[in-house]
Amino acid sequence: MSEVTYIQPFDDKFTTALLPELILVAGLFALIIIPNLGKATFRVPGTQIRLPYFLGGERYSLISNPRLPGWIAVTTLVLAFVEVMMTFESGLQRYMIVSELLPTTINGVTAGDVLVNGGSHILPSGSKELLLINGFSRLFEMIFFGAISLAAIASMNRLQSFDSSDRSTNALYNNRRQADFYILLLTAAMGMAIVALAQDLFVLFLGLELASFSSYVLVAFHKESKEGTEGGMKYFIVGSVASGIGLYGLSMLYLWAGTLQLGELSVAFDAAMAPQGSPALPLIALGFILVGFGFKVSAAPFHFAAPDAYAGASSPVAGILATASKAMGIVGLTRMLLIVASPESNDGSAIWLVALGILSVVTMTWGNIAALGSDNPKRMLAYSSVAHAGYMLAGLTAIGAWNWDPKLAGHGGDAAIMVMTAILFHLVVLVCFKLGAFLVLSILESEGEVSKMSSLRGLSKREPLLAVSMFIFMISLAGVPPMSGFMSKLLMIMGIVKVAIGNMGDALSNGDILSIGDAHWVWWLALIMVLNSAISMFYYLRVIVTMYFHEPEGDRQGPLPSGWQVRTAIFACVIASVFFGINADGLIELCEMAANSLNYSWASQ
Amino acid sequence: MPLVGFPIIASLIIMGTISNVSEEVREKLVNPIRWAILLFSLGLLGLTTAMFYNYFGDLNGFEGIAFNSYEFTARYAWVDSLGIYWSVGLDALSFPMVWLTTLLLPITIIATWDEKNGAYYHPLILLMGGALIGVFVALDLFMFYVFWELTLIPMFFLILKWGGEDRKYAAQKFFIYTFTASVVMLLGLVTLYFLQNPLEPLAYSGTLTGRTFDIPELVNYSYHANMNGNWFLGASMQKIIFAMLMLGFLVKLPAVPFHTWLPDAHVQAPTGGSMLLAGVMLKMGAYGMFRLPIALFPHALEYFQLVLMTIGMVSLIWGSIVCLGQTNLKKMVAYSSVSHMGVICIGIATMQPIGWAAALFMMFAHGIISPHLFAVCGAFKHHYHSMEIGSMRGMAKHSPWLATSMMFAWMASLGLPLLAGFVAELMVLIALWHFLVAEGWSVLWMVGPALVLAVTAAYYLWSMQRTIFEGGDETQPPASMDGQPIPDIANHEKLAMFVLAMFTILFGVMPWIALDMMNDWSIQIFEGLIMPILGNFNGGV
Repeated sequence: MSEVTYIQPFDDKFTTALLPELILVAGLFALIIIPNLGKATFRVPGTQIRLPYFLGGERYSLISNPRLPGWIAVTTLVLAFVEVMMTFESGLQRYMIVSELLPTTINGVTAGDVLVNGGSHILPSGSKELLLINGFSRLFEMIFFGAISLAAIASMNRLQSFDSSDRSTNALYNNRRQADFYILLLTAAMGMAIVALAQDLFVLFLGLELASFSSYVLVAFHKESKEGTEGGMKYFIVGSVASGIGLYGLSMLYLWAGTLQLGELSVAFDAAMAPQGSPALPLIALGFILVGFGFKVSAAPFHFAAPDAYAGASSPVAGILATASKAMGIVGLTRMLLIVASPESNDGSAIWLVALGILSVVTMTWGNIAALGSDNPKRMLAYSSVAHAGYMLAGLTAIGAWNWDPKLAGHGGDAAIMVMTAILFHLVVLVCFKLGAFLVLSILESEGEVSKMSSLRGLSKREPLLAVSMFIFMISLAGVPPMSGFMSKLLMIMGIVKVAIGNMGDALSNGDILSIGDAHWVWWLALIMVLNSAISMFYYLRVIVTMYFHEPEGDRQGPLPSGWQVRTAIFACVIASVFFGINADGLIELCEMAANSLNYSWASQ
Repeated sequence: MPLVGFPIIASLIIMGTISNVSEEVREKLVNPIRWAILLFSLGLLGLTTAMFYNYFGDLNGFEGIAFNSYEFTARYAWVDSLGIYWSVGLDALSFPMVWLTTLLLPITIIATWDEKNGAYYHPLILLMGGALIGVFVALDLFMFYVFWELTLIPMFFLILKWGGEDRKYAAQKFFIYTFTASVVMLLGLVTLYFLQNPLEPLAYSGTLTGRTFDIPELVNYSYHANMNGNWFLGASMQKIIFAMLMLGFLVKLPAVPFHTWLPDAHVQAPTGGSMLLAGVMLKMGAYGMFRLPIALFPHALEYFQLVLMTIGMVSLIWGSIVCLGQTNLKKMVAYSSVSHMGVICIGIATMQPIGWAAALFMMFAHGIISPHLFAVCGAFKHHYHSMEIGSMRGMAKHSPWLATSMMFAWMASLGLPLLAGFVAELMVLIALWHFLVAEGWSVLWMVGPALVLAVTAAYYLWSMQRTIFEGGDETQPPASMDGQPIPDIANHEKLAMFVLAMFTILFGVMPWIALDMMNDWSIQIFEGLIMPILGNFNGGV
């Protein structure tokens, strides 16, 4: 079950383990080089011999297509996505990439061989665990690559391109935004993947910054509108402050424990939290790190830049922020809260439990109430994304309480796995319906501004299929059965309730008298969550009403600009949103497998 | 189960197809579509009627009915890991509701035959029917909840697309009100789900959770857990979950003080929407009460008996008093629905077999009578462009058909003997009498409900007086007609109302056709569940 192969960088298994990331790197190189290829030649001095060296000159006709970078990026991302899917398909291997391995055999185990987890004793003292490839990180890679490739496909028609008849390299400058945009998408995907894999806080921070900087630029990329620049600036400033605070937290952790390794930190934390009480330094550090990742998941009160950024960015980019970037924040939070500051000690309730519980309640309520009042569909979706972050934080809170019940010894880990499954499921299906909703807005945006709810008016008359898609996305977001959003919300509620109820089922057979007060207080999070999802109904319904029951605005008549790429992406999102709602079993099993591989102490319970 | 799947799939296919054709083609397609849907729903009606004869015995007795045993069961794995099954079945509780739904589908389609935008309207009605049937046949908590919510979507669109002037407000209020209540119910269901012991899993448990959503299994389990004075889940927890589930059902019913969505939704809804809303959708609330909280938590029901009784009384009295003050015909009928739902509530709260049978029969009878009422209101609005009582007078002279239909429906609703509504009301009063005697209270409490019947008669008769009889100068049509000649109702409306009237008479004169089944079921649930658990309680037989 928990067998991990330890490998060094550039070992023979290295390529197998990191194939999706290597594909991304290859794609990045291709994206930079291929558009430059041309008929350039080099004359050997003193002769008439011209040797072709291909870089520059008159470019080939295929290469001079301004849409080429887009196609390269989409191909790369889809390939990476398919590769991740195939690793799921062909039975998952777990790999741990470490900086150094002993070349000799210790305790009868050869380095590089399959080891039972916890066999880190074969590592030399200076060696660090860098990247871990298992079901959990693979699932997140799948989310990142899936979301970003959908966004990449959808943005193909969004960027302006100029005449492609000019085959000189100078034409590249006119269309340089094409290449820039997709390079940034690829680096963002790369950074996110690193965050998902990282086992060392420094590596994690590197990935986080790579993804963050790419997304700052991506947000500001929509420079045709005033909001774009403003949103990009706000996002950058707030984001870098949050990163800085997070980094400060990391440095304090290092000061305290002398290590940035997740595994070692976890051990140190457990030791520190033992009976003698809790030292202040790691807790302050944890709080700072919470701020850093809280910004990424746009948890209140760190969400202030999010609505501006979403409204300013072009819709596919906003979709990435709401899905992939949020998933990245959740990975970080999971690693910090559930691995480092893990709630395994004594009474089982984690040290951050109350803080995160309050944060989740504030986040979901604030998000929903703010969304009620916003007339800009993108801001509305941004606030709804804040609310969804709150639901996921409630899930994380519940995991923090997973072994609160002393009677639970034996099968308490099930509950933690269940909640984690729910969070993962939610993140996966969020890509379908949140990104899908942004893509619908993206089509509208290619016609003009979408800063008012009224720009959605009469969509059902103008584009019946788009309106139906948006309808499905909205009721999915609201969590109405039988859409996948309902399934994810149900799983989340079920997980939280399962944790809260704990072992009361046993008590029942003993005839004990129970009340809801006997359950853990995270049960109330579930109640607040369902009430919140009822509030959220208001603004999702408003979109539906606007699309179906208002006449189109004066100058916005008739069908929208075409673009089969974005329509394909929307169609895929619709299919997935419905499919995972009515046939969720496969995805649930996948997420459960991933949740299982996150923390062995759950599975072993 | 073809009853659920086929209507939903068929209507989705039709709507998906017509959304892609041009306006002209769509206009041409309206006629074939509504004929196809009419024939389809008639086929469903035939199917359920055949089921009635084959499996629920003939007209003479229903010996085969037993509590918690189901006919026509089918089960397919849906989400294995959570223990979710596509599990359906019928018993004497759900069967009348399913039959009623299939009866009302063709009648609704006929009554609103030329509703505008018919290519979308009729498939939506069919979708609504499929979802409603789904609620009644579901034997899995998850499936029940999915269909429970699914009914909201077509009704939301029916109100929004075909409704009156304030339709947006009404549709959103309707949706949010019932949605809020049902998510609380959902949390109750999930809590109930996790209170099972995974170490001794019931049948059909999920591979991941070790618990089941299966209703018959849960009912069976709770039966044993409730025995010997024990409370299934413990006293406090049972009360909490009972209250959470009841909130969902009482809002849907709707009972005062959760009733305010109903008048708005009804007034704004199109005729067909109102017919299905009043006819079947409200009954989902009462049906749900019997199916889940009552079957699972008899102790809590006894504990909350007086609360429920109070809610029923208040609904009954408040609904009818508000009716007196209404000037809008449809709003008056809507409030009369609140009042009748109060009767159902009282019937349940008496905790007598006869009271429960009466509640079941009231659900059934009101399901036939109230669509008739709303069909009349719809025709009134359609032909006279106004819903105000008194804007149209002397209907008896110039619109004899509508006047006759209206009179008939009004009489049926106020409980005229030999019509279906009377049977249920009489039985509830008897049950209430039993209840008062058993509790040792003064039977003077009977005065309240009895007086309400008089009030009911008053507002119905008064509204009839002001529309059918008074005035009636044929040369002076009302202002809303703009001087046009006054038409009587169309043939398809006559047909629909006639059929409904015939069924009202049928079940008024021969109530045992349906009542025997309900009576047997309530006796069975008392002998098989309530009496063994609660022992000699005051509400007993």
